[in-house]
Parts: sequence; structure tokens; C-alpha cells
Amino acid sequence: MNSSDAGTTRRRRFDELVGVFHQDMYRYAAWLSRDRTVAEDVVQESLLRAWKSLESLRDDAAAKHWLLTIVRRENARYFERRRLETVDVDDLTPSQEALLADQPDHELDDVRDAIYRLDDDYREPLVLQVLMGYSTNEIGELMGLRQGAVLTRLHRARLKLKDALNSDLSET
Amino acid sequence: MNCEDYRQAIAAEPSYDGGAAHLAACSGCRAFRDEMRSLDGRIRRALAIGVPELRMPDLQDVDGENVVPLAGRTRFTMPAWLAVAAMLVLAAFVGLRMVGSNVTYPSLADEIVAHLDHEPYALRVTDEPVDAGRLAKVVPANLAAMNHDTGLITYAQTCVINGKKIPHLVIQGQRGPVTILLLPDEAVESAVQLEGESINGIILPVGNGSIAIIGERDEELGPIQQNILNSVTWST
Repeated sequence: MNSSDAGTTRRRRFDELVGVFHQDMYRYAAWLSRDRTVAEDVVQESLLRAWKSLESLRDDAAAKHWLLTIVRRENARYFERRRLETVDVDDLTPSQEALLADQPDHELDDVRDAIYRLDDDYREPLVLQVLMGYSTNEIGELMGLRQGAVLTRLHRARLKLKDALNSDLSET
Repeated sequence: MNCEDYRQAIAAEPSYDGGAAHLAACSGCRAFRDEMRSLDGRIRRALAIGVPELRMPDLQDVDGENVVPLAGRTRFTMPAWLAVAAMLVLAAFVGLRMVGSNVTYPSLADEIVAHLDHEPYALRVTDEPVDAGRLAKVVPANLAAMNHDTGLITYAQTCVINGKKIPHLVIQGQRGPVTILLLPDEAVESAVQLEGESINGIILPVGNGSIAIIGERDEELGPIQQNILNSVTWST
């Protein structure tokens, strides 16, 4: 195979992987950063890094985990670079508001707002489990946590959401 | 299983299907299970936000020479101006800055920093040591001897840098995982500092080779360097 063919094959492989997992990458980045604009930047950087290190992905069956791991690192790098301050949920930028206002639906707005207010430690494993279909073992591997810690965070996350949503109901 | 155990399990994993005997006798836990499963459906719908159309970045800048697989890449085959250009392109992406040395080793620094992203699984925060047998396989006795001063080694993998197989290790530092690359065939004249937006690293000359140590930006590398230098002895 000449270098041109190899380059074409490499690009085709990359495009196929990104086509399949782009939605997961974006949603994971959006819920990690809680900001649509930041999520787009993080995904762009992640795609570049993934492209540069494509050869390290030996098995395409592991592509989702590989890409989400890159997104996670890029998100951390982004916030490290920008040294963004903790977001005050009552003082949101337009792109943060856009995340909460996605697909207007009163019931979903409440849930989205409650998820948004969760601490990162609780929100991330919840996103990985519910949205990405990760097992608790896989979440532990990605986040560097033992399985018991993952289970505790997931349990607490749901109880916090339940309390927040019940509280919203009682206030209306 | 009591109510507390069951509710912890179902709140952590709403698909949990254990505790059937308890569930059959406890209407409160059945209601809790149904509530958790209903909540999970709402969470799933809430998280599934709309995704903008894929905007592929310009991959041309990192195409061609810059993305030749590491195993096939050789040093000093590019014209010097191209090597420097490649270095600058990479630096634009990772914010790499070399300090304390003139830019004599762009290829080695380039490959080391790029390699950090090759195995993202390696950078786990964990207290589980790598299996001793695996460590012995990755760092064979005919390459180097290591004593126990390195710190907790949590990852060991044979990797390729500049076309040569080298041990890639990860130890746990104060601020997170620290990558150690043993480079017995990569001589450097003096220490090469690697500073970046998110990394803090150094390539240390050791005998006829070198050792690269890269941690998080705020990692204190001094004690780690000393431990590694005390621990590693080349066998050749």
C-alpha cells in the first residue's frame, strides 16, 4: 500500500469512527463543561488529538472509550488553560443557558436544571451510566475510582436529583 | 437484604434486579424502585441534548509527516527546517515550550509529548500496583535494573519511540499520574525541560541514554527525579 492509499484508508477510518461517536463526544463534553460553546471547542481539540494518535487505537471496538477518555482530558486541559471560575448557576452565559434551554419542555427543563446543579463528582458518573451506557466498572476505569466509590456517587446523585425535583414540585 | 441495602443498590443502578425476596415483601421498596426507574427515564431524556452538526477540524495541519506512525518514524531523516516546523506545529497544539537547552532534540521531545496521548488509559489515579511479572517483562533485566525506590508503579507497557521499543511506566505522584519513559538509546547532552499548559516534564541524561519524566503542571518533579535516578541502572 503506498502512502497515499494509507492516508486515504486512515482518513476513512477516522471519519467512520467520528461519525458514529460524535454525538456521544459532544454530549459528554457538554455535560462535563456545562457549556455548549466550550463543548464544541473541547470536541474540536479532541478530534485533533484523536487524529494524531489514531494508530494507538488498535481495536475499533474500544473506540468509544478511547474517544471519551480524550474528551475528558481535553475538558480538563481547557479549564486548566482558561482557569474558569466555578459557574454560578444564577449568572449564566448565553451558551450555558442554551444547554439548559435545549428542546424546551417544562418537565425536562427541571430535570436538566437539577442535573446542571449537581457537583461534577456526581454529574459525570451519572452521564456515563445513563447516557453512555457505561457499567460501574467502566466508569471507575475512566474516572480512576474504585467500583464502590462509583456506586456511592451514583446513589447519591439520584437521591440529590430526587430531592431537588420533589422540592421543585413542592414549591410550585 | 434490608430496605437500606436494596435502596442503595437500586439508586446506584436502577436496572438492578437482585433482592427479589425482599422486594416481594416490601411495598415501600417496590415504590422506590419504580420511582428510581421513572426518574432514570427523565434523566436520560434530559441528558440527550441536541447535537450541532459535526464540524471537522482542519486535519491537514497535522497530516503527512506529522502523523507518521511512531513505529515507522526515524530521527534526523527530515531536513532540519522541516523538523523545526513540525515542532512548532506540535507546540501550537500542546503549548510545549523547551527551556534550559537550545532546541537540539526537537524530534525526541516531539515524540515524547505526542506519546502522552497514545495511551490515555495509562493515566489513571489508582493505588493498585502493576503486576510484578508484567513489570519484569516490560523492563527486562537485559535493559535496566530497577530497585524499589521508584514509587508506586501502576502501569507498564512496551511502547515505541523513534522506532525503538522502550518501557513506558506510570507512577502515582502528588498531583496525579506521572509518566516515566526509559530511553536507554536516546542520549541527550543536558536536561531538557518540558513545560506546557498542562504538563511539567523533563528529559534527563542518564548514562548513554535518558529518562523522560512528565507529570501534571503543578507536580513537584524534584523528588521523583531523584528517586528514579537512584532506582534505574542501565544494563548495557
